[in-house]
Amino acid sequence: MTRHSLSLLLRNEPGALARIVVLFSSRGVDVESLSLAPAEQGDLSRLDVVVELQDGRTVHQLIKQLGRIVDVKNVVDRTHDEALELGA
Amino acid sequence: MDTTGAGALIKALEDVGCEVIFGMPGGAILPAYDPLFDSKIRHVLVRHEQGAGHAAQGYAQATGRVGVCMATSGPGATNLVTPLADAYMDSVPIVAITGQVAKSVIGTDAFQEADIRSITLPITKHSYQVHDPADIPRVIAEAFQLAASGRPGPVLVDLPKDVLATATTYTPPKITVPARPVLSPVQIRNAAQLIGSSKRPVFYVGGGVIRSGAAGELQKLAEKTGIPVVTTLMARGAFPDSHPLHLGMPGMHGTVPAVAALQRADLLIALGTRFDDRVTGLLPEFAPHAAVIHADIDPAEISKNRKADVGIVGDCRDVMAALSAVITRKTDLTDWWNYLGGLLTTYPLGYDWPADGMLAPQYVIERISKLTGPEAIYTAGVGQHQMWAAQYVRYERPGSFINSGGAGTMGFAVPAAMGAQTGAPGRTVWAIDGDGCFQMTNQELATCAAEGIPIKVAIINNGNLGMVRQWQTLFYEGRYSNTRLGTHNRHPDFVKLADALGCVGLRCESKSEVDGTILEAMAVHDRPVVVDFVVGQDAQVWPMVAAGTGNDEIMAARGIRPLFDEEV
Ligand SMILES: Cc1ncc(C[n+]2csc(CCOP(=O)(O)OP(=O)(O)O)c2C)c(N)n1
Ligand SMILES: [Mg+2]
Repeated sequence: MTRHSLSLLLRNEPGALARIVVLFSSRGVDVESLSLAPAEQGDLSRLDVVVELQDGRTVHQLIKQLGRIVDVKNVVDRTHDEALELGA
Repeated sequence: MDTTGAGALIKALEDVGCEVIFGMPGGAILPAYDPLFDSKIRHVLVRHEQGAGHAAQGYAQATGRVGVCMATSGPGATNLVTPLADAYMDSVPIVAITGQVAKSVIGTDAFQEADIRSITLPITKHSYQVHDPADIPRVIAEAFQLAASGRPGPVLVDLPKDVLATATTYTPPKITVPARPVLSPVQIRNAAQLIGSSKRPVFYVGGGVIRSGAAGELQKLAEKTGIPVVTTLMARGAFPDSHPLHLGMPGMHGTVPAVAALQRADLLIALGTRFDDRVTGLLPEFAPHAAVIHADIDPAEISKNRKADVGIVGDCRDVMAALSAVITRKTDLTDWWNYLGGLLTTYPLGYDWPADGMLAPQYVIERISKLTGPEAIYTAGVGQHQMWAAQYVRYERPGSFINSGGAGTMGFAVPAAMGAQTGAPGRTVWAIDGDGCFQMTNQELATCAAEGIPIKVAIINNGNLGMVRQWQTLFYEGRYSNTRLGTHNRHPDFVKLADALGCVGLRCESKSEVDGTILEAMAVHDRPVVVDFVVGQDAQVWPMVAAGTGNDEIMAARGIRPLFDEEV
């Protein structure tokens, strides 16, 4: 298992969050924490999520799969930033 | 233009070029059926919504356009779940329009309420529930565009009844053409370099080549390079079977030369394909010596199952055109072709006649192909007959084989043929179906008879759920638990059933009758025809890579492992 911290910008459309959460469950991604808040820009929300991936699954793959969701505008991997913030 | 939500829906469908809807009315969707009555759009009234969904898939694959199906809320919508899942797996562009209970009662377990958006989240590319009738034209235009662009797939539009009934003004939707991904010149150059230096390259071609309309570019590039081609189940027809560079289908029931080409290759040029487990066999043992170029419109497919050395995100047609432009010379592949040529001669596709003197199913399919020709469209169900349809029909053009590859949905053949025939009225359409599959969706033959959709159905009646029986023979010591259908004892009598459904019913039980029966079926043009081909129950699909084993263990026939014993 590997742990990753992702930050997503999504359109504030009904069903957008559901589609992301279902992607996690269909693809066997473990969610450790998840928080959703309005983003400063436009009609967007920001979703911060920490996930654990099964062995052999890469975070790049997950980012691309999230990127396919029509209402997801942007996905960034913050695993490194977070490690820096924690001084790890 | 003043109208209602329902009027806007039908007008928008007309404006985006929809010419046919497969569907069934009911309470929540009823408002939409009123303006549809006056529309130039044809509506084909199905007998089960699953039939509507598969028909939309068949239509889409026969025409290259978006297929449309429509159902009411609750059970009507849930009956579309299987076709949506199927279209998602095989990247088929369809739009499903469902009625929904009125906005005010959503979430109260109202009569015929089902949360179809949530139910279909993992099996749709995108979905909408429209709350303002003014949004309908935009949503329909977006749904069509999303279904067809990028990696195609199913889109759901859920319409509450009150939204359909409310007055609104129609504003024509803006139809935009989505931009295709721009290719990376660096990746194209890297790919061309790998191709130039490889000694044992192979084009591993998937359904994406058909979806992107790239068959012409593929033939150009293959002929320019002299590189052998294999076409997966979803890509049958993307490259002519008669072409000398074609090695056939790879995978679990692929040809020995196609499987060997992948296993012995030093370079796979994977185009619009997703390294499905039915092709790769045991992944760590798949194509062990090969570098991989992987081109796909969906970035999430690249390096998903097998790491790509060069990944190219793009439309297959653009990718191949770009490669053709930079590749100038043929590399010397004499040794490679000597090896492959040997396999082509030693291990052609072949079959034995059943010991009990009954008809060989492969022969029936071979003759249908021969007597009907490559301009026809062939659909298949799922099982042994599907694999024989993939092996023994000679495909020469893209879109001529329509089957359920990713999902493996029994019952696909008849409704898909109905949809294909609707979209291509000038072509002969044969559904090659199993006696098991046929019983899942044959009610759509009543639709075909009533609507004048003259499909032809060849039931490969082996009396059994044959594919499952084959596994029981090979892996469960011949313990045939629950695979006998009784269809050899006329439960049901397919000829009578065909007659009752308004079709011509024919039966064929011996080799000498096969051609005559096929020609008799071909002579019927005013209604559907069903032929009950009674074949032996013990015929098996070969070659075979048993599930969970590596491709090197491919058996040309039971116990014969040509690659395993080979000196490499
Ligand atoms: C909806 C569905 N249910 C079950 C299966 C599992 N299954 C795969 S092939 C098969 C047998 C199909 O029998 P038939 O249509 O007679 O085809 P045959 O293999 O005999 O040619 C079954 C039950 C499936 N693929 N789809
Ligand atoms: Mg059968």
